[in-house]
Amino acid sequence: MLVVPATIFVAIGLIGPIAILFRYSLNQFIPGQFMVDGLTIENYVKFFTDAFYLNVLWRTVRVAVVCTIVCLIMGFPLAYVLARTESRFKNLLIMLVVLPLFVGNAVRAAGWMTAFGSKGALNASLMGLGVIDQPLEIMFTETAVIIGIIAVNLPFMVLTLQSVIEGINRNVEEAAFSLGAGPAAMFRRVLWPLAMPGILAGTILTFILAMNAYATPVLLGGPKFQTMGPLVYGQFAQQNNWPFGGAISFILMTATLLLTIAANLIVQRRYR
Amino acid sequence: MARLSIEHLRKVYGEFTAVDDCSIDIAEGEFLVLLGPSGCGKTTTLRMVAGFIQPTAGKITIGERDVTNLPPWKRNCGLVFQSYALFPHMTVAENVAFGLEMRKVAPADRAARVAEALRLVQLTGFDERYPRQLSGGQQQRVALARALAMEPDVLLLDEPLSNLDAKLRLEVRVQIRDLQRKLGLTTIMVTHDQEEALTMADRLVVMEKGKVRQIGTQRELYEKPADRFVAGFIGRSAFLDGAMAQAGHFRSGGGLDIRCNAPASGPATLALRPERLAIGAEAESCANRFPARVEHVSYLGALLDIDVRLTEQDRILLQLPNRQGAAEPKPGDMITIGWAEDAGLVYPREP
Ligand SMILES: Nc1ncnc2c1ncn2[C@@H]1O[C@H](COP(=O)(O)OP(=O)(O)OP(=O)(O)O)[C@@H](O)[C@H]1O
Ligand SMILES: [Mg+2]
Repeated sequence: MLVVPATIFVAIGLIGPIAILFRYSLNQFIPGQFMVDGLTIENYVKFFTDAFYLNVLWRTVRVAVVCTIVCLIMGFPLAYVLARTESRFKNLLIMLVVLPLFVGNAVRAAGWMTAFGSKGALNASLMGLGVIDQPLEIMFTETAVIIGIIAVNLPFMVLTLQSVIEGINRNVEEAAFSLGAGPAAMFRRVLWPLAMPGILAGTILTFILAMNAYATPVLLGGPKFQTMGPLVYGQFAQQNNWPFGGAISFILMTATLLLTIAANLIVQRRYR
Repeated sequence: MARLSIEHLRKVYGEFTAVDDCSIDIAEGEFLVLLGPSGCGKTTTLRMVAGFIQPTAGKITIGERDVTNLPPWKRNCGLVFQSYALFPHMTVAENVAFGLEMRKVAPADRAARVAEALRLVQLTGFDERYPRQLSGGQQQRVALARALAMEPDVLLLDEPLSNLDAKLRLEVRVQIRDLQRKLGLTTIMVTHDQEEALTMADRLVVMEKGKVRQIGTQRELYEKPADRFVAGFIGRSAFLDGAMAQAGHFRSGGGLDIRCNAPASGPATLALRPERLAIGAEAESCANRFPARVEHVSYLGALLDIDVRLTEQDRILLQLPNRQGAAEPKPGDMITIGWAEDAGLVYPREP
């Protein structure tokens, strides 16, 4: 009985809009007339036949995959240390990891802008040190967007992994060591497989967040750097093309879902 | 198999000394038990041998190898944890094969050695099960098989039986002991169960507050405890506080003059094993004989525990075999108790 309210909420709050969106995506768009009821796949055809849109999708996936992989590689050691530390300051360390989330995405992106700009802190210090003599073009590049998204997503990855690693008995690692496994073998044969549920949850979470990122690509990528999130928003808010916006949303959602499922299947086949 | 020697081992945590100048020599194939009250440093000592804790000072040698600064994976110590620590994502066979795999044993040889290890712990046929599909006792035996399969130089057991119920504990105890003998494994086991320690060990190490108090066989520890702590810790003792007034004479707090084999010294404690005490007619021939008042009698089946008072300050615990039908002392009775001159062991008084 207790699950009823949550179920109703999910149904109304999540499935409702998606259903409406899907319905809209089948409508026609006639400039000046806003939206005409219909049942057509022309919005989807438009997306998949235009190299521009396909390019945006490909770029979004690429950025999301890179961000997720980097988050995993950077997040795992951090999560491990957090999970295993016996320091009195453990809670403080966790707060430090979460701290960036206290600042909204937009504010943070603005911070990155000041850091990455051609006269920003990074270039100024590198040039000051004589490492480079031309400012690096980081702002409004894919690199800037990737760095920005990683900074947003890393805490989610770390917290997810940390809670799973904490559930792995330290003795199991020690048993592996005593049986002759060095740190690399222990990691590969024991820690990684046992942390797999957390790795899956963390990568899915960060991947979805990265696929749908909005503020970071807009602010750090600039107007010419299009990803799916801003594209959807543009169609709704600027072009007023709700049917096409709906179609793009649906494509984004489906792509995210399919890639997540595919990755899961591959991983699960490899690890039992 | 190899001998193991621990020399002047110390571990200090900040201000606190967990293990203090601990030296133990373990012969090849010997079963040594570390025994002591909770927090005395048994686990710390064992984990230093296994390589999980870096000693503050001291040296550990396995066979001819100085392993003090080697990481755990290069020490070849088989370790069995209290919590078993099986790999939950691997089958029993994979668990047991893990150590062999890490040692690059050819897959063909692995299978035979896994089968042999599982046969030793009587788990043949459980190969394909996962740890969660096993009972506690079976998991324990898998942990043992896993440690044995890699043919360790020394076997380290940290309270391996404490998660088992009483009946199983007796069974596994015998199994471990038999295996250890059969394979001639140099073994250190930690426990705080005295009976377990006494039945399994070749020699025991009694530790207290990080220090080794005594190393010896069961008989040595029981009959010649090195100090008052050991006398109280291994088996039971009755203690009388007093002083060695002159050689051969202990004067108790209540003023009794007790004959014993010890030189004169200052304040001292006399320890008496309950079964060395005689009562009634049997006490007649004893060098020390005192009238005593029975305070309390506990019925323990085969034995009767009897609390007696010699003087206001001197109380003693007696243990009598329960001869059914014979007259039993009752509280309030006056009886005579006695003991031989060599029954009393004298130790300097400890605070
Ligand atoms: N990391 C640590 N930091 C500080 N003190 C510690 C640490 N590890 C252990 N100690 C202390 O060292 C002492 C010895 O601990 P140890 O675990 O060796 O005891 P033990 O003899 O195994 O006791 P038990 O029978 O309860 O298992 C304890 O008093 C413990 O509080
Ligand atoms: Mg312990």
